Amino acid sequence: MAKVRLIKRNVPALLLIYLAAAIVFLVSVFPFFWMLSTSLKLPEDTFTSIPKLIPPQFTLENYRRAFNDTLLSRYFLNSIYVASVVTLACIILSAFAAYGFSRFRFPGRKFGLMFILCIQMLPSVVVIIPLFIVMRNFGLLNNHASLLVSYPTFTLPLCVWMLKGFFDGIPRELEEVALIDGCSIASAFFRVILPITLPGIAASGIYAFIGAWNEFLFAMTFLNSNQLYTMPVGLNAFFGQFTVEWNQLMAASVFFTIPSLVFFMLVRKYLAQGMVAGAIKG
Amino acid sequence: MEPQVRMADLQRSSAPAFWVALKKNRVAYAFVLPALIVVGIVIIYPLLEVVITSFQRYNLLEVLTKGSSYIGMSNYVEILKDPEFWHSLWITTIFTAACVSLTIGAGLAIALLLNLEFPGYKVLSVAILLPWVMPRVASSILWKWIYDDQFGILNYLLSLLGVEDMSTFAWLAHSSSALWAVIIVVVWQSFPFIAVTLLAALQSISIEIYEAAKIDGASPWQRLRFITLPLLRNILGVLTVISTIWDFKAFDQMWVMTEGGPAGGTMILGIHTWMNAFAYLRMGRASALAVIMLLLVSAVTLIYLKLFNRGEE
Repeated sequence: MAKVRLIKRNVPALLLIYLAAAIVFLVSVFPFFWMLSTSLKLPEDTFTSIPKLIPPQFTLENYRRAFNDTLLSRYFLNSIYVASVVTLACIILSAFAAYGFSRFRFPGRKFGLMFILCIQMLPSVVVIIPLFIVMRNFGLLNNHASLLVSYPTFTLPLCVWMLKGFFDGIPRELEEVALIDGCSIASAFFRVILPITLPGIAASGIYAFIGAWNEFLFAMTFLNSNQLYTMPVGLNAFFGQFTVEWNQLMAASVFFTIPSLVFFMLVRKYLAQGMVAGAIKG
Repeated sequence: MEPQVRMADLQRSSAPAFWVALKKNRVAYAFVLPALIVVGIVIIYPLLEVVITSFQRYNLLEVLTKGSSYIGMSNYVEILKDPEFWHSLWITTIFTAACVSLTIGAGLAIALLLNLEFPGYKVLSVAILLPWVMPRVASSILWKWIYDDQFGILNYLLSLLGVEDMSTFAWLAHSSSALWAVIIVVVWQSFPFIAVTLLAALQSISIEIYEAAKIDGASPWQRLRFITLPLLRNILGVLTVISTIWDFKAFDQMWVMTEGGPAGGTMILGIHTWMNAFAYLRMGRASALAVIMLLLVSAVTLIYLKLFNRGEE
């Protein structure tokens, strides 16, 4: 509060601050606004020598055509399927692992945690070559199973570290009371701890979902049939097919962004404590 | 019936013989191992395999008929003799260095701005998340449209500012500008994370320190230079290392916007490796490139772990 009072007395400083804030705001928001605007415009209002910021005539035609003339809805369902299965598997595995790392001290604990941390650092390109050969040998190429197997490598580490942060924040006394009352460790975990951590589990699940939703490299390498493409691969393939129809492409991109946007805003308040504190330790 | 295990017993374990430890800590391992095994199989196996393949002649087309054969260090020798590799390493270095310094710089500046808590700062702190939220492929497509030579809004805005000769400049079609065009997109998508993290760190600095400094007559610049930055040093170090790794790994934006072109001007190592594997089908050579990338990332990761563990203690 002291800061605000200081600024309020100093009008030129305040002006400078708002100028900087306005620039940052425009740089952050304008590209998104431009995407939205292009997606709602008629082609004749799009390709003009002086760009029209706000569509003179709003139209949903680009969205309709993106759905009817392309496989966009197919890509969307594929992405939903892959991301959901990955999220589910990831939540189950990481909730157990995070609890184990948070509550027990055992030989190899530190190594396990560091191992998981290091996995996040691996470039996908490094593992994609052998994974491709393995997938080919198992006949999993051009099959969503190849993505279901490989996506946890980057979603699990983040979830484990995030959830460990949440479990660390729950006092141990809670389980100790349950154990004294005759619960086994497993039932203390399921009946006492899990219900309290549900918001944390939801948050980490959403991060896993967004990660899988966005993934491009594995999907592009492992899939080669249009019917199986996920959203990012499908959208990128728009460039090859026709002359680029920017209006449709922007409509498809808006559609691709919205689930990510909605989910992200849901877990925004966990940003500081989850991802930041968990993966980085502020 | 599950035997009664007391929490205290589980926490107080030294490390005797392997089996004793395993038995004593079986509950702990039961929780932890499933995830470790899944990740281990999907990560460790490929890593071993990529090292083995890097010593082989392994062509994806020939492997079914001729199989693969060991050729020692040949792949590595060829890579070191290949000017394309050195070019790609150079591009990767510029790309990573530029992305990291611009991201950290912008992130720090914006965090300091938000930390002033001027009326309306909350709106801005939500607005800056937008670039981060957007899927990488969606933002690459969007920026391709912004950079469009004829109808792109960027060239129009530049012409408004009086840069007339840029009105039909194709940003992604010249090897000199394409790299910087992609760098801007990557920075645009990664500054929010840095800003949010640094803001959280800034807000944990107690206000008394600043007030004491103010009483001692420190100027705002001195307070930044001698209080804020030293207190942020650790987190800035960690963020710099993380960003280095992330930007070194970057692939999607580059691929969607330029595919490594024009004329190799944006051919970062990731794309160079991928092309060797899946466009030229030289898996052995690509694996050797992957091992080189792995070594580079490991070196940076070691620094990261050191910083990380220092923070833990």
